[in-house]
Amino acid sequence: MSAETESGAPVFCAAHMLDSWDENHPQAAFTELATTEAPVRPDGMLVVATRQELTEFLRHPAVRATDGVHFNLGGKRPLIPLDLDGDTHRRYRGLLDPLFTPKRVAWLEPAIRARTNALIDAFADAGSTELMASLCGPLPTYLFIELLGLPATDLPVFLEFKEAVVRPVGATEEEQQANMRTAGDRMYDYLTAVLTQRRAEPPRDDLIGGFLTTELDGERLTDQEIVDICYLLVIAGLDTVTSSLSCLLAWFAEHPDERHHAVADPGLLPRVIEELMRFESPVPLGHRWVTEDIDIRGRRFPAGAKVEVLWAAANADPSAFDDPLTVDFARPHNAHVGFAAGPHRCLGSNLARLELRLAIEEFHRRIPDYAITAGERVVYTNYGVRAAIRLPVTFPVTRG
Amino acid sequence: MRVTVDQSRCQGHALCAMHAPDLFDLDDEGHSFVIADPVPGGLDEAAYTAEAGCPEEAITVDPRRPVHAEQARS
Repeated sequence: MSAETESGAPVFCAAHMLDSWDENHPQAAFTELATTEAPVRPDGMLVVATRQELTEFLRHPAVRATDGVHFNLGGKRPLIPLDLDGDTHRRYRGLLDPLFTPKRVAWLEPAIRARTNALIDAFADAGSTELMASLCGPLPTYLFIELLGLPATDLPVFLEFKEAVVRPVGATEEEQQANMRTAGDRMYDYLTAVLTQRRAEPPRDDLIGGFLTTELDGERLTDQEIVDICYLLVIAGLDTVTSSLSCLLAWFAEHPDERHHAVADPGLLPRVIEELMRFESPVPLGHRWVTEDIDIRGRRFPAGAKVEVLWAAANADPSAFDDPLTVDFARPHNAHVGFAAGPHRCLGSNLARLELRLAIEEFHRRIPDYAITAGERVVYTNYGVRAAIRLPVTFPVTRG
Repeated sequence: MRVTVDQSRCQGHALCAMHAPDLFDLDDEGHSFVIADPVPGGLDEAAYTAEAGCPEEAITVDPRRPVHAEQARS
């Protein structure tokens, strides 16, 4: 696949250039990178792919989220908290982390179950459905809009935005960046209008209501800060859970024996989800910048370097996980980094876990037997986020 | 046996509290802390599992670390 780089098309991930790369089953390519000594992309970017190097690299204080010029995902300004570092980052995480602990997100359980069932109602009698469009796509977006306190009728605004930012259109990296910025500008305008409206209304008990009244070091958040936080939450809360849910349901559809095992023992589901998050690694990588020359386990990372950190490769590293290409629900130690690691570890992981568990519980309660529709296949994308973008399934209809 | 969480390393993955809820709980920011010190009998394996399963290597089990008489009584 070296032609891809010679043509000038964007390089997305070191694993995509390996001969072992397989869109449906990328895990073997990630294992190859995790067992390669000091991997480097053809464009020169250093790659962190082993589990142990990753932990030590991310812990180093000279490893930063941005270089202060390039921001993630089409943002005009630093995304809060993803594009911040050090004390500033810690202050915002101190504000946001408490909002996403397991206890603080538990109140959403009835809403998650109800919304999941409402979506299943629409196809339960049909005997077949395409799960990306009918469940995985809309569910997290509906829930996130509910969490923020925005009207459900604005769903298309969010779906369009996250698609434009996560899977940008464009033949070159410059074109993609420009298209992402355009989508980003529209989302900033939308959120700014929402805040103006909300400030004119009586306070409400949702996430935006919380942002409007909370104080950071004795001062209220500015509109700019709230918009920056919401912008990140919109991206982080929509596509990641959609993609993860699609990967997990696709895996279950193609592994009936393991699915029956998981359905028969609901208490097993949290472990099953952790193992599938390791194996599927729906968010495959992140980038970090190095502010000074550092050495990690004898490897030099020079000042100014942008580094590709491959969560998916660390999760398929045989030195950290026995037989990493096998899904093992009973894996005794599963220190996976499917939700990333280090100071920028996923803020919403406990909300994501809750959504995944409840959605899978409800889906399996109503539709325990399903398979990929005959004559069709799962279509995966691995650019930006790994997702089963086409997931056609067939199942027996039970009446009554 | 003692088990400790290095607060400077814990990032709130919450896997320890999920897999060993008798040993760990999460504070208001979602960071882990030990709720059973020393480790009660029968939870040795859970402690080792949590140590090996922490993505940040923030958990340490010390089977030999002396337990103060006062704590041993409680």
